[in-house]
Amino acid sequence: MKFGYGPWLPETELVSKFAKAVGDNRLMATKCKKCQQMYLPPRAHCKCSSTELEWFDAPKRGKIRTYTVVSAATESMSKYAPYTVGIVDFERGMSLMGQLIGVTRSMLKVGLSVRLVARKLDTDRIIYEFRPL
Amino acid sequence: MLPKVGIVGIGHSKFGKRSDATIRELAHEAAWPALEDAGITIGDVDASVVGIASEEFAMQAAPAAIVHDYVGMGNKPTYRVEAACATGSAAIRTAWALINSKLHDMVLVIGAESMTRVSSARATEFMARSGDTRWEYPLGATFPAYYALMATAHMNEFGTTREQLSMVSVKNHKYGAMNPNAHLQKEISLEEAVKSAIISYPLNLYDCCAISDGAAAVVMASEEKAKRITDTPVWINGLGAASDSMLIAERSTLTGLAGTKVAAKRAYEMAGVRPDNVDVAEVHDCFTIAEIMAYEDLGFCEKGKGGKFVEEGQSYIGGKVPVNIDGGLKSKGHPLGATGVSMAVELVRQLRGEAGNRQVSGAEIGLSHNVGETGQFVFVHIYSR
Repeated sequence: MKFGYGPWLPETELVSKFAKAVGDNRLMATKCKKCQQMYLPPRAHCKCSSTELEWFDAPKRGKIRTYTVVSAATESMSKYAPYTVGIVDFERGMSLMGQLIGVTRSMLKVGLSVRLVARKLDTDRIIYEFRPL
Repeated sequence: MLPKVGIVGIGHSKFGKRSDATIRELAHEAAWPALEDAGITIGDVDASVVGIASEEFAMQAAPAAIVHDYVGMGNKPTYRVEAACATGSAAIRTAWALINSKLHDMVLVIGAESMTRVSSARATEFMARSGDTRWEYPLGATFPAYYALMATAHMNEFGTTREQLSMVSVKNHKYGAMNPNAHLQKEISLEEAVKSAIISYPLNLYDCCAISDGAAAVVMASEEKAKRITDTPVWINGLGAASDSMLIAERSTLTGLAGTKVAAKRAYEMAGVRPDNVDVAEVHDCFTIAEIMAYEDLGFCEKGKGGKFVEEGQSYIGGKVPVNIDGGLKSKGHPLGATGVSMAVELVRQLRGEAGNRQVSGAEIGLSHNVGETGQFVFVHIYSR
């Protein structure tokens, strides 16, 4: 499974696994077996240099820390504009950037509770988005 | 204490939509006046450091070689430096290290970029790819979007207002209108700035710097050489550099740039000065919120008071620290590789007392602050007479 609106970087095993999990309505992160550091999005190598990481299910509910509404998009994203991008803080100190859907301008505010949902862009391409609870 | 390195010559092309030139001509337009200003010939220079951020914009792989050859450096060595929007300052820092390592005695630093030959949407695309191309670019993040996320956070936490953002733009356009090398040489009203078209809410058109073509150059020399060449060298007294996480969601705060604080602390310590000693500053105003955060992170005012700082006129000539009085990235323009070198050119002018109607009277200490990406590259330089 491929990840993201804008195809650019070749997929790796790690990205495919993450994307496939999104398709199954799961948000998968990795955790270092040595120092317990958690990575969302997942990494194959820990910053402590360990390569012993394990996958786990991250919480899918969080709160909007900040947001923007993109009107002037990149060439490849123009067909989606305007769209809303936010940073969502989850429990356990993890955060993720993503597009917010199903929000009106009057609803949009810092602290709004959202959940992660999957969106299939093509038969082999997927993205996650955030939707208000 | 390390020996000082001096700037002995400066040159600056006209910034703007330069359909008459590509990077080689732009570089020439800055480099030769810099040599002339130093009173030397190209044969006196030992090497060049060329700052060009993007091969995609340059439409040329390894673009330093073209520029180096075109300005007539022949068989001398050249180094290409790249640090996104902070490329020019990275080039100056590199030249400083080359000189203080005694590898070279005198170095020509050229920063150049040609950006306007592609559409705005494509330029936005190129720049978006300097964000994480695996985890953020595929979500539709653009550069204005990154800074808009910071603006929302700053406005939410500190009550920074729409008007205060626009006040940065009004100030920079006021001074840009007085700078013959600036891209957008026109004053704007607060009302125009507040009401301009949204680019990435809350940032609008007048919150965003211009996409420009241009080049700037400086000749840098060892202390001994600089003193022999000129009676008016400008010294680099302090340098600080820092970085930050690629994923901005990973950062603990989005109301400032941690790298700016780290780099500034190092530069202030090295130069032995405090923020209130700075007479004139060039800060990275790629977006208006970036200038407001820079006031705070550089210690010109308290955290959260950046909006108030511009509102009170403290960043105008006559205020606490005149900031971006050459127009800044906003009005002067932001040809990526040229910007950091252009900041140095402006500070040298100010410290020599050659800035004409934009002169800060009696300026002795200048500071430049140049940011690449969203803080993954930060360079702070402190200059003195």
